[in-house]
Amino acid sequence: MKVLKIIPQKCTGCMRCELACSYEQTGTFRPSKSVIRVSAFENHTSYAPYTCPQCDEAWCMTACPIEAISISSSEAKEIKDDLCVGCKLCTIACPYGTIFFDPETHKAFKCDLCGGNPACQKVCPTGAIEYVEVDANSDWIGSFANDRSKGPSGPLVLEVS
Amino acid sequence: MVRQVIVGGGTAGWNAITTLREIDRGDSNIVLISNESPYSRMVLPYYLSKEIGESQVFTASKTRLENLNIELKLGKDVKELDSKNSKIVLEDGEEVDYDNLLIATGSSPVRPPIPGSEGKNVSSFWTLPQAREVTSKIKKNTRVTMIGAGFISFTILNALISRGVDLTVVEVEKHILPRMLDEQGAKIVSQWLVSKGVDVRVDCKVLSIDDYENEKLIKFNDGTEQKTDLVIMATGIKPNIDWLTDSDLNLDEGILVDKYCRTNISNIYAAGDVAKGIDIVTGKSAVHAIEPTAVQHGRIAASNMSGKEVSYKGSLLMNILDVFGLEIASFGAWDEEGSDTILKANLSRPSYRKMIFDHGRMVGSIAIGLGDDVWHTNDIGMLRGLIYTQSDLTDWKDHIKRNPFDIKRAFLASGSVGKLLSETLVGIPSVPEESITISS
Repeated sequence: MKVLKIIPQKCTGCMRCELACSYEQTGTFRPSKSVIRVSAFENHTSYAPYTCPQCDEAWCMTACPIEAISISSSEAKEIKDDLCVGCKLCTIACPYGTIFFDPETHKAFKCDLCGGNPACQKVCPTGAIEYVEVDANSDWIGSFANDRSKGPSGPLVLEVS
Repeated sequence: MVRQVIVGGGTAGWNAITTLREIDRGDSNIVLISNESPYSRMVLPYYLSKEIGESQVFTASKTRLENLNIELKLGKDVKELDSKNSKIVLEDGEEVDYDNLLIATGSSPVRPPIPGSEGKNVSSFWTLPQAREVTSKIKKNTRVTMIGAGFISFTILNALISRGVDLTVVEVEKHILPRMLDEQGAKIVSQWLVSKGVDVRVDCKVLSIDDYENEKLIKFNDGTEQKTDLVIMATGIKPNIDWLTDSDLNLDEGILVDKYCRTNISNIYAAGDVAKGIDIVTGKSAVHAIEPTAVQHGRIAASNMSGKEVSYKGSLLMNILDVFGLEIASFGAWDEEGSDTILKANLSRPSYRKMIFDHGRMVGSIAIGLGDDVWHTNDIGMLRGLIYTQSDLTDWKDHIKRNPFDIKRAFLASGSVGKLLSETLVGIPSVPEESITISS
């Protein structure tokens, strides 16, 4: 399937993806409603956009007690607003932390890949977000994470041998 | 064809059925024995608040069950297990043979021996008929007294308040939510409830519930009394294992199961509230009696029943509640004493974070915060992920100690995403249900 492949090394932290996402999802420019979120590392010298990886055996989908989460035509796991009762079970069933909750509507929301035309990918000026066919469950953030596993102030100095 | 018999149509039983069909695509005879039509107990609070109608409570419509080719024995109670002859005896005398059996008979509310606790206008809120009863009895300004301040009673607080009732919550233990929160966390939630007009009484024992003209009169051990219209008993639950006392199954509070959700009898499995399965944090057996564990048990058991062997690390004990916009969650060993703990509270917001570590790995957490705090819900998910993956946070711990509300970066940098991606529960990709075609 096609998923959002993120290349954190290319991200400049411009936050356009969050704006575009919230506009696509809600019709308003509100990063608080975005389902892709950018985290800054190493005193804002590197950034990692992060969103639902559309995992294979979807925790959220199996956990929903009212079957409000289904698979859309673009193969995204999608929350059906008219079915969601807002019980929040999916928010703890999903170990990725990529389920959001809207206190105004009392419904959960998540990345639905914008129906196969993801807004975040379109607006990213540096190509840090790709929408491509990749192997299921490929870990795009692995090497970025590994470089930062040594804490927030990490080893910023390159070791010269 | 293999005859797979499922007893109980709740979360565990229903997930087992759908998982069996995801795997075998119709290549087994599935029999569902249940005293009720399958429905979702988790959504009853939303039925109480009238946000959804009764039809939405049912997970399995008639056509859906037909499409999945399930043989139904509904409205029937089980009486006895005859494991030597691989059969179940029903109350009406019918005998049902099985090749594999899944026991998913759930749990029932227990009521303490308080005089009057079985009287009129005293109800539990557990089954659909009980939900119907409570729903029909409340209107604006009805006085409702809830006995027991545990998870179950808290799931219906929002609904009761939205219906305009005058609510009292009574807890016999020192603080509310005793199996979900520590004392400090509970205090924050108590204050929040009081600010919303709920009368909270803790360390308070009910001595009797009497009829007083058309009202109920409750007497407490501190000498006070209260008149009320409706009493809801939410004083805990117990696994439905009474019918198995004379069986050969290993019972200890619930039915003991191994990492395959298999009992001591090789063709009998148990799942959900009735099962005592592996806890991922302690490695020991525990009755969780929570929805996510029931889902996982159901899927693991079904997979093994269909011959696709899957073992499992265990389930994480976790709960989440939303009480008038305050989001409360706890995970794993949140009450571990004498341990390595990070704790921060901001009472004015209010927000509260507790994280328990064991050698750089998080083993339990409590998170309380306003649901409209932008990051709160995601942090909760990530805390759950960090505990589940047992990611090494040794080098991030000092940072989290200073900034317990900055979880996301530690989550990403610890490589938790990669760990999660490579690990699925039963290894069956989720597919749209309509794509599961059943060969007949």
